[in-house]
Amino acid sequence: MRIRHFPLWTVLGVTLVVALVIGGGVFSSAPPTNAQRAASIEAVIRCPSCQELSVADSTAPIAITVRATIRHQVDQGKSDQQIKDYLVARYGSVIVLEPSTSGWSALVWVLPIAGGLVGIAVLVVVLVRRRQRGSGDLDADVRGPSVDPVVLAERRHFLTQSLADADAEFLAGDLEDGDYLALRQRDLGRLAALGPAMATTTASTVTTTRSASATVSTLPATAVADSDPVLESHERQSSARRRGRNRWFLFGSIGCFVAALAVAVPLFAQPRLPGQTASGSVSLSPSQQLARSLDQAAAVENAGQLGQAAQLYQAVLTSHPDNEVALAQLGWLEYRIGRQGASPSLISDARVKLSQAVNSNPGDYAAHLYLGTFMLQQEGNASGAADQFTLFLTSKPPGAVVAQAASVLRQAYATAGRPIPSGIPTA
Amino acid sequence: MLATRPPAAVVEVQSPLVGKQAPTIHGTTADGSTFVLPRQTGNFVVVNFFASWCPPCQTEGPELVKFAFQHSQSGDARMISVIFEDTTPAARSYQATLGTTWPTLADPGGGLALSFGVRAPPSTFLIAPDGRVVAYIVAPVTAADLDQLIARAKATGA
Repeated sequence: MRIRHFPLWTVLGVTLVVALVIGGGVFSSAPPTNAQRAASIEAVIRCPSCQELSVADSTAPIAITVRATIRHQVDQGKSDQQIKDYLVARYGSVIVLEPSTSGWSALVWVLPIAGGLVGIAVLVVVLVRRRQRGSGDLDADVRGPSVDPVVLAERRHFLTQSLADADAEFLAGDLEDGDYLALRQRDLGRLAALGPAMATTTASTVTTTRSASATVSTLPATAVADSDPVLESHERQSSARRRGRNRWFLFGSIGCFVAALAVAVPLFAQPRLPGQTASGSVSLSPSQQLARSLDQAAAVENAGQLGQAAQLYQAVLTSHPDNEVALAQLGWLEYRIGRQGASPSLISDARVKLSQAVNSNPGDYAAHLYLGTFMLQQEGNASGAADQFTLFLTSKPPGAVVAQAASVLRQAYATAGRPIPSGIPTA
Repeated sequence: MLATRPPAAVVEVQSPLVGKQAPTIHGTTADGSTFVLPRQTGNFVVVNFFASWCPPCQTEGPELVKFAFQHSQSGDARMISVIFEDTTPAARSYQATLGTTWPTLADPGGGLALSFGVRAPPSTFLIAPDGRVVAYIVAPVTAADLDQLIARAKATGA
């Protein structure tokens, strides 16, 4: 059965109602709990000290503070908007990840809705016109003595084309026998009813038997053979207009496709954090969360924001106190910052963390490298440094790291009076 | 010393708090006493959020000491520090090396930082004698920067 024979209004109506029912949350019988409300707010509040992360996704201390504030205010019975307003009053509107519903930002919300409404309106108009053409006396407007011959010719052309389409669909197997015969009978009847001006020729025939139940023959498959030059001229113009319209539709479709690609490709191609989807939402396992936090900290550290990187590593250690990567990196950061600021307490903390890191994972080459460097530069302990560097070299570090550390490695071994391992490149 | 931020002159930033009454400042100081800042202090107040691990904070530390000393003579401005994402012992140790003499508030839950909309240290707010926030700086400040901001605030009637 073809969709043409479905009551389209019914299909559209049912689809709309189902969408509204689901979208309106009719089936969500229970109101959200306070925890669910807090989680939904946290997902749209930006972490103040992070790059494009919500407070829900961030482990930064200030994000934890914001989360606690949101939960406290939810428990106090404040509305979502009141809580957002509270944060906006302190951090500005940038604290909210979702676009504002006022000003120019509101276009982000309005345009899709407007586009949808326009689409529905166009669909309604098309369906109404089709319905008007498909019911009752379809050709009442082209009867009588004062009918415009141009309009009449257009109607004939339309019916002839409709018959040709039906032929093609039937031959392609898209149309069942009964439907095809009914359509053909209807359109042929309409053509005949258009009057004596209808001088059809059977320029081609389709004789096909697709089943025992239906045999079709002698179908008109060409346009009207009308010798009126005015009509022929108009027919050519109409055809040109149709081709022009089709061309615009084609270009428009291609344009939309290209625009969609332009938006989608960068979105899907851009580097994403572990577990982050193209839409930006994140659903992470604890190990993925840990990996992402470490990635974020490393990125910040590489950007030279040592203080913020230290915060991020510290946040990792809050939840994973034995994580050797966070211990080693934070220890190394504290050592660098402590040396710059001549802070004995920071340097002391750095020593503790670097020792913890090598104990936590004796196979972590970076921890041995950091600790060895610390022992050499801060403690003047070349022998201990050489021990750490030996462990570093046996942990199969990348060649680039060995090359980068070559001078300090050589210095340690030379000062300790030990032979320099062959794997260390010369300066 | 690493310079992770541009100079203060170009990083006085917009804050929803500027022009409004400053959030209430009260809490426990690093040495354990209770501190409450009156709504209208009658003089300028510099509120500085800092951390001992923060290199820009270390840059501005001596300048804040200089500012506090200069204005302790005239009595027209005072300093308050708030520990931001740092332990109280580490912050106290750092301040001891600087020789600070003004109140330093511990902010263990980050409530004060949140009420001021602080993102990262150092963040400095200038509060006018009538209790309004008149400037917000997210960079190492100098004593001269703060003096300029106070002069500007006075010129605009603060």
